[in-house]
Amino acid sequence: MSIARANVTVVDDDVLVLRSLDRLLQSAGFEVEVFSSPKDFLEKRTANPAGCIVMDLSMPGISGLELQQALFGTRDGRPVVFISGQGSVPASVQAMKAGAIDFLTKPIDEAQLLGAVRVALDKDRAARGQRAEQAAITACLAALTPREREVLAGVVAGKLNKQIAAELGTAEKTIKVHRARMMRKMAVDSVAELVRLWTLTQPPQA
Amino acid sequence: MDAHTATPGVAAALRPPRWLLPALAVAIGYYVAARLGMAFTLHPHSISTLWPPNALLLAALLLTAGRDWWWLLLAALPGHIAAELQSGVPTVMVLGWYASNCSEALIGASLLRIFVRGVPRLDSLRDTGILLLTAALAAPVFSTFIDAALVRLIGWGTSTYWDLVSTRLFSNALAALMVVPLILAWAAWLAAGPAKMRGARYAEAAALFSGLLAVCLLAFAMPHSDAHTAPAVFYAPLPFLLWAAVRFGPLGVVSALPAMAVATIWGTVHGLGPFTTETPQDTAREMQLFLITASVPLLLLAVALAERSRIERESRSQLTHLSRVAMLGELSGGIAHELNQPLTAILANAQAAQHFLANKPGERAILSEILQDIILADKRAGDVIDRLRAMFKRGETRTEALDPNRLVRDVMSLAHGDMTTRGIEVVPRLAASLPEIRGDRIQLQQVILNLIVNAADAMSMCAPNDRLLTVHTLATKGRVHINVIDRGPGFTVASEILFEAFYTTKPQGLGLGLSISKSIVSAHGGRLRAVTRKGGGAAFLITLPALARRP
Repeated sequence: MSIARANVTVVDDDVLVLRSLDRLLQSAGFEVEVFSSPKDFLEKRTANPAGCIVMDLSMPGISGLELQQALFGTRDGRPVVFISGQGSVPASVQAMKAGAIDFLTKPIDEAQLLGAVRVALDKDRAARGQRAEQAAITACLAALTPREREVLAGVVAGKLNKQIAAELGTAEKTIKVHRARMMRKMAVDSVAELVRLWTLTQPPQA
Repeated sequence: MDAHTATPGVAAALRPPRWLLPALAVAIGYYVAARLGMAFTLHPHSISTLWPPNALLLAALLLTAGRDWWWLLLAALPGHIAAELQSGVPTVMVLGWYASNCSEALIGASLLRIFVRGVPRLDSLRDTGILLLTAALAAPVFSTFIDAALVRLIGWGTSTYWDLVSTRLFSNALAALMVVPLILAWAAWLAAGPAKMRGARYAEAAALFSGLLAVCLLAFAMPHSDAHTAPAVFYAPLPFLLWAAVRFGPLGVVSALPAMAVATIWGTVHGLGPFTTETPQDTAREMQLFLITASVPLLLLAVALAERSRIERESRSQLTHLSRVAMLGELSGGIAHELNQPLTAILANAQAAQHFLANKPGERAILSEILQDIILADKRAGDVIDRLRAMFKRGETRTEALDPNRLVRDVMSLAHGDMTTRGIEVVPRLAASLPEIRGDRIQLQQVILNLIVNAADAMSMCAPNDRLLTVHTLATKGRVHINVIDRGPGFTVASEILFEAFYTTKPQGLGLGLSISKSIVSAHGGRLRAVTRKGGGAAFLITLPALARRP
């Protein structure tokens, strides 16, 4: 799987803090990109990058939490590590509920920061891998004819060829041909594998 | 430092020997005072009606540390001899009088030092009461006995012992009453750094003094053929003296009383005015008693007024300080944030440096950048602490020329942490060039901080994009404006109610902030107003008089 080079984006309104975190993360071997305001970040960030975001919770204009909300509306699904001058419990709860990786209080412990960044990058990598697989499956599904898709739905629902043929009003033999072609297009050998791929494309049930 | 070194700035600012200038001043002052005293002599009677040298010496001692007293007493000797020898008095008598004059100053100053620490203050009834009892009563009484005894011992003149005592007592007491408070009040005025007075005030002082002199001359220095004097004549100067007491305080009264005394004595010495009796002794005594009885209550009245306004000022300053501390308490979270930022930068920089040293030891450039940033961050933390300490300090009001923009910037950096944690963006719109204003830095910062915190509170319910706080400075003719504008809901009550003490909309508020802010701005000769803006939000407008000089 090929993903873009992992980078850490830091958003903090305090330039001194921003520079110091930039250096610390660079010294630990990460690619770092910094923004000194949430607005700047929203305007100039790259479209769908790999990596994670380290951001200050309290910034003038847009707070970190609001920025996190704003990112949900975009396709930017990068994990977020919050840093904050003072850890207020409600804010941290809200941040974690919204999927933040960690909530670190300033002055930040180096080990904690680097640990959280690694966790965030791992999570991003996993999510990215999953998305790539999903994209591949979606491409296979797109190659199916309408009839093949109907057959697929029947197979995934656990129906026998005979049942599918009856439902679709054709001969069992025809279904067999469609089914073989569908399995080949989906690049699977077993029904179990087909079901796994199928569920991956389904939106998660709440 | 012992308690007696509280000399006023005039003496304290001297280079060693520190007694030299005071001693010179005493030598010259004593001579002039003695010549003046002689001019106040009621001929053919040989004793002065008001003898100021002793009182001058006493006041000089009060202004000086005890260990320097001997220099001052010594310095009086040449002045004394120079003045007295012109009057043809035998040398023994001249030296005798020197001793008794010094004794009055010493007795008065020593007694005062027992009861009053430092220089007696004329805005304290206690200090002034003790001053009157010691310098104007005890010292003349005791030294007069010594004086009369010496005169009789040496055998100068023909007066009886008790005659001598009574004439000299009144002369010395009156002098102490006129001269000691005069010198102390002006010395304190000089030491406090003379306050700038407006032209109208000078005009008022000039009107007061010329009016007083005119009335005194009319009442006490006009030919007085009639044996009967209308009692109203004696009250003629009273309105002017009351004017001095109420409008100019102790400084005004202690300056007005000698003016009245000099006019009265001049008239009497020239045989004018109502104080004409058969013997010079009686004439002198009646005039002296009149002056003493007129002076004491007026002096005490002025002191009582000054004391009341001083206590009021002190309690207002305590309240101001208290509300400032309470406000800083509310800001403590933001201030912690403000200190945390540089600490974070220092820590992360230092740790990065460790990594660079371990992995790329050759790269010196990055290390020097890191050290530079660590220094910057450390200085920033230091600045926060300095500003905080200044705000926490409880001090006397100090007026100085101030740059309004710098005031605003200082407050903004103090409030920065709090504003950031609340997600409020503070937008400074500062005029490029502003005239300076005159005032107390800390108090004015307190006002601006109070307005900024209020504005932030008002916007707590606003949408993120609306949490904008504008601080606007501009100058109009002769005025500087500092406006704090928010986008909150504005206020629903009449704007005057906002400034009333104990009016608050905050659950934890005391309701003192705005009322104190308003009184601070008023004390600076300015105005603080509140308006609801058409587009929503409130604006608090500070208007202060600009200093004429452009920065």
